[in-house]
Amino acid sequence: MQNRPVIVAVGRTKFGEHYGKEPEKLIEEAWLAASNECNLERKNLETCYMSDYFLLITNKLGLEEGFLSELTELHVPMEVTRSFSAALKTACHAIQAGVYSTVLVGGIEKMTDRLDKIRDDLMLLEDPWSYYAGGTPEANHELLLRAYIKKHCINGENLEKLYNALAQVAIKNHANGAKNPYAQYQRKISLENVLSSRKAVNKALGLFDYAPITDGATALILTSEEVAKKMDVTPVYIYGYDSATDYLDYSARDELSHFVAAQIAMKKALKTSKLNAWDINLWEVNDQSTMMELVSLEDLGYCASGTAWKSIAESSPNSKGCYEINGKELYVNMDGGLKADGNPLGAAGGAQIYEIFRQLTGKADQRQVTIDGTTPKYGGSLEFEGFGTKAYVNILGRE
Amino acid sequence: MSSEPIERRVSYLGDRLRASRCKICGKEYFEVRDYCGNCGRKSYNKMDNADLFYEKGKLELCTLIDEPTNKFRKLERFVYGIVSFHNGKIRVPARVTDQLLNKSDFDLSSLEGREVTPRFRRRYSVGKSEVVPTISLAFTLADEYYPHQEYKVIQPTKDSELPGIVGYGVYSSRFRIKDEGIERAVPFIDEDSITAAVEAGKLALIHSGLDNSWVGKVYTGSESNPYAVKPIASKVAQVLQLGEQDGDVQGVDAVDTEFACKAASSMFKDACALVSYPRSDINYAMVIGADNSQAAPRGCPGGELDAFVGYGGAAFIFGKKDVIAEVESWYSCTSDTPDFWRRDGEPYPMHGGRFTGDPAYNKHVRKAASKMMEKCNMKASDFAYFVPHQPNPSFPVRIAKELGFKEEQFMPAIQMTKFGNTYSGASLVGLAAILDIAKPDDHILIASYGSGAGSDAYVLRVTSQILDKRKHQKINVKFLAENPFIEFVDYATYRRLKQGM
Repeated sequence: MQNRPVIVAVGRTKFGEHYGKEPEKLIEEAWLAASNECNLERKNLETCYMSDYFLLITNKLGLEEGFLSELTELHVPMEVTRSFSAALKTACHAIQAGVYSTVLVGGIEKMTDRLDKIRDDLMLLEDPWSYYAGGTPEANHELLLRAYIKKHCINGENLEKLYNALAQVAIKNHANGAKNPYAQYQRKISLENVLSSRKAVNKALGLFDYAPITDGATALILTSEEVAKKMDVTPVYIYGYDSATDYLDYSARDELSHFVAAQIAMKKALKTSKLNAWDINLWEVNDQSTMMELVSLEDLGYCASGTAWKSIAESSPNSKGCYEINGKELYVNMDGGLKADGNPLGAAGGAQIYEIFRQLTGKADQRQVTIDGTTPKYGGSLEFEGFGTKAYVNILGRE
Repeated sequence: MSSEPIERRVSYLGDRLRASRCKICGKEYFEVRDYCGNCGRKSYNKMDNADLFYEKGKLELCTLIDEPTNKFRKLERFVYGIVSFHNGKIRVPARVTDQLLNKSDFDLSSLEGREVTPRFRRRYSVGKSEVVPTISLAFTLADEYYPHQEYKVIQPTKDSELPGIVGYGVYSSRFRIKDEGIERAVPFIDEDSITAAVEAGKLALIHSGLDNSWVGKVYTGSESNPYAVKPIASKVAQVLQLGEQDGDVQGVDAVDTEFACKAASSMFKDACALVSYPRSDINYAMVIGADNSQAAPRGCPGGELDAFVGYGGAAFIFGKKDVIAEVESWYSCTSDTPDFWRRDGEPYPMHGGRFTGDPAYNKHVRKAASKMMEKCNMKASDFAYFVPHQPNPSFPVRIAKELGFKEEQFMPAIQMTKFGNTYSGASLVGLAAILDIAKPDDHILIASYGSGAGSDAYVLRVTSQILDKRKHQKINVKFLAENPFIEFVDYATYRRLKQGM
């Protein structure tokens, strides 16, 4: 890839409920953390790409670029996208095109401000016809699971194993979240917790299978290689990034047990990065539900279709917190994933990049992954907008 | 949703489940498409209609929703999933309706793979001042209370000198309350007078075998329209695509009528006159009477009605070809008698207690029926059946006997003991029950009653065509009344369902 974009610093807020803070205050906090890390001044920024999924609805906040301009006294170009990965992608394009060389990428979401109506909003935006038919955000995940079970004819003992594998995903992500000082839920959960939450609602997926409603902001500073060289930082390069799109209406898609957009985005991102999937052992995936993490292992190509549940079941519990797939180690959602770290939609992709950045630069503290005794060389992130409607894959790496 | 344009677009597609099919590659889409995504520009104007409204689908996947989104809260618990049509060529999200899921051990996997029928229902709850949202992404199991029926157009062949009924449909809900010896229909929570009117009209089209575009006028009589201003008939016309379609407008005249319980029966003669007028290009006219009959709760003023009200309706199509029952004559009478009324803005009607009998119901029905017989020079024994309006179990029996009819002539028409008083639908459901069993050349006398007050009497003569048309009608009055899938509910559930979404 020519003109490789470089991440020189990352920053974030704690995820959770920020009752007293305006959305702008959260993004300010994330930006300050990132700028502090690389010793960058506001005036060095040439442009800002921000993301929020639905601040317009949750906070009746349109044209948030104006708020940011006021806050930062910056009059540079600012654009807003719906996901952090989309903002990052736009920033990468700008750097690769040589238009800008120092860019702020930020993401923000303030969901708890509209807690009472959030499920209606989410569902209406995610898939309006399903909403009109009575669908809920959780129902789509349950149907995904049903479709998966039916397609792969999983029954009897295997079905129990699959359900347990999904529970293991939640347990692992909470165990990771417990080591993440920024995570919304910093506590371990037990198999009993997951199973009883399912039993309480008499369903295959319970409270502990779903990501929470979250407030939070994330930011990173992206520069050209030239600019990065002049800075006193450990650079992390963007080796590949791409995205793909699928129908809004989940029921109308050809494939109900997988996310085609994720498969396509992964293929394209691998191609630009000139890497094989197994060159990357560290992933942040979009676990809106435990089922989504399971399916992502297949969509990213680490498990054959219909086998991820077996790999998860066989490799858990694992003291290292990684999946063992055909004898190889795969570390997924070391920050706790959306499940434990939290899921502020427009900022969640930033937390993924934050974690990969920390891992690759060896600064992930107690969460630090080592592969064959060294810090990992590559890491990837998979982010969705909607229920698999848009998929973004980013592949990051050290020099 | 408070946006009128969005509401219009969603219900335009969703009420009828409009779909399209590419003539080139055969790909199908839920929604109206001008061109196919596969074939691109070259498929422009090469898209066929593939509406799913009369189709049978398959419930592919499903799950239980017991924490609905806010607007679906009143449904409490329901099954939600994905339904496929045309061997999986189209898939849509689906809510399974007409189920009270009280039991916790509900077996979802037994539903997957079952055949389902789309049903026109209210979509979700909105504020009282908002447009009532509707949709047909609600489904019921195709082999239960409401079986799937094929809609097949049959070219009419036989001209009739007199206009008459060419087809009819009757609809009532799956739920009933049983007390004081009578069963009464209870709408499911997503049903109302609009959905009943559309159902009745749909079943009438299926029974008549008429193409929907041949119907040039639709009258809808109801006293429980959720709107004070906005017709039910416009919804019926659009969902059933009555009249020639021109763009997104139907070439049909649609109007609501109101005269308490005779709002629909009054229009039979107008429909007959319309299809008979020599320069009329309207060959068929549909009359629908449907109500979610209103009553104050027991113990409140007007609450006496609560023991009798039902839910449902019937639709009759009038024309001059392939007539199943000729309208031989009619007589109507009216007086300004305030025996039952509902002021604008009031949720429940009031009534005149004991004055609803003699000076109201009896006087007008007696007058209309006896004048009718006199006019036709016929006596009670000349009729095979008598259909009186039926607000309660006793009034129709007393007047029928007084007019000289025997039990075997009028008891088959008394359906309020099965469905409750369906107000504008009451005498129509009674007539439908008679047409279900009548033989060629039977004479039928019907005398409706509308509070306020008036009565319409008609003399009908059944033709031999009735036997042919009966073959393509699974859902008739008896089928609905004696259906093994009927579910009885208690008083509290009845009031909750009747309140609606």
